Amino acid sequence: MTTDIHHLLAPYVLDALEPDERNVFEAHLAQCELCRSELGGFAETASRIGGAQAETPPPELRDRLMAMAATTPQERPVVTAMAQRSRLRRALPRIAVAAAAVVAAVSIAGFVNEHQKADDLRAERDEMVAVLTSSDAAMSVDASTGGASVRVISSPSHDAAVVVGTSLRALRSDQVYQLWTVHDGRTTSAGVMGRGPGMMLVDGIKGVDALAVTVEPKGGSKTPTSDPILSASI
Amino acid sequence: MPAASRSNRHLGVAAEPTSPPGDDELLQRVARGDDAAFGALYDSLGSSVYGLARRVIRDPARAEEVAQEVFLQVWQTAARFDPARGRAKSWVLTLAHRRAVDAVRRDQSATNRERTYDWTPGPDHDVVDETVSLRLEHEQVRRCMEGLTELQHEAITLAYFQGYTYAETAEVLGANTSTIKTRMRDGLVRLRDCMGVES
Repeated sequence: MTTDIHHLLAPYVLDALEPDERNVFEAHLAQCELCRSELGGFAETASRIGGAQAETPPPELRDRLMAMAATTPQERPVVTAMAQRSRLRRALPRIAVAAAAVVAAVSIAGFVNEHQKADDLRAERDEMVAVLTSSDAAMSVDASTGGASVRVISSPSHDAAVVVGTSLRALRSDQVYQLWTVHDGRTTSAGVMGRGPGMMLVDGIKGVDALAVTVEPKGGSKTPTSDPILSASI
Repeated sequence: MPAASRSNRHLGVAAEPTSPPGDDELLQRVARGDDAAFGALYDSLGSSVYGLARRVIRDPARAEEVAQEVFLQVWQTAARFDPARGRAKSWVLTLAHRRAVDAVRRDQSATNRERTYDWTPGPDHDVVDETVSLRLEHEQVRRCMEGLTELQHEAITLAYFQGYTYAETAEVLGANTSTIKTRMRDGLVRLRDCMGVES
């Protein structure tokens, strides 16, 4: 499938996604600043179409609601909501930094390699999108005691998975997150994820039992040098 | 109104006419447990929420249930509303639409779901006691919908009012899914620009 995941924004706003797809797209939305910047205008547009259907409700409804409100406790999420927003606000610069790092990596790779690298990145992004939007995409979430979590969206038909680490805290500059696949007790590196929140494609998940994340010295390690901070079964 | 403020001044009441609080202000008051603001918000948005639920679900009793769930959710979760991210009306109608679509998908299997996608222009205006500005907004929506291409119009209408997924929409219209997603997108862009919504 070559569909760009951005094209799910319009069906998302119209509530025209299957529940699974809605979850996957919301995970993507948390990562995609471009999508979020378009969401507001689209949602306002859709709600105006909806608002134009006005019809007077039965008068009893108001009385019933007022009575229910009088006996229904309200969520007290002011603290939570603000905490979530500030978490997001803190995460955004890190995501931007990660994106800038990718761009920098491509540009300092030199003139000769540049196009090849850019093509590789584009191919990787296309495959991520294919996994995220595949019909057999399944999601699992693993959270550590420290509050970090990764989402794993795996697609058997693509023999690949996308690991989304939105809440990974930023590491010191001499450390990286490294991803491992566990297969019959053997641990194999699936690549270095970077120093903060990010997304990563894992190719070849057939026979893989679990994914694990460790903190490693800059550049990554051949075998894990510390206990996993997270592990998720596939 | 000049006449009113003149007489206000004459009576010694504050000369500045205070406009009634808008939906955004009301919803923020609801978040602080203000029952009267909840009633006023219902008076402002109740007909839009119920009308949208009716349009999607059709069955009046079921639509009333959904409208009730929506407003109860508004009461319970009002503190999540963030005015920086959009209007209160948009927030409430987004909740309403999702609940209506979830309800219609639960209630109806794909086989008995009605296969019509006509754009009926909504109820007569005398059904609802509308303010002039609301009436203008609704007329604008109708005019902008008429400005869509046939496929954009059908794709958006089937999804938004029938609760079809884009895959079901594609099947009903005999088009492929990527075409439908694209038509939904460019249709929304055209509507957004036609309505003068900030992008």
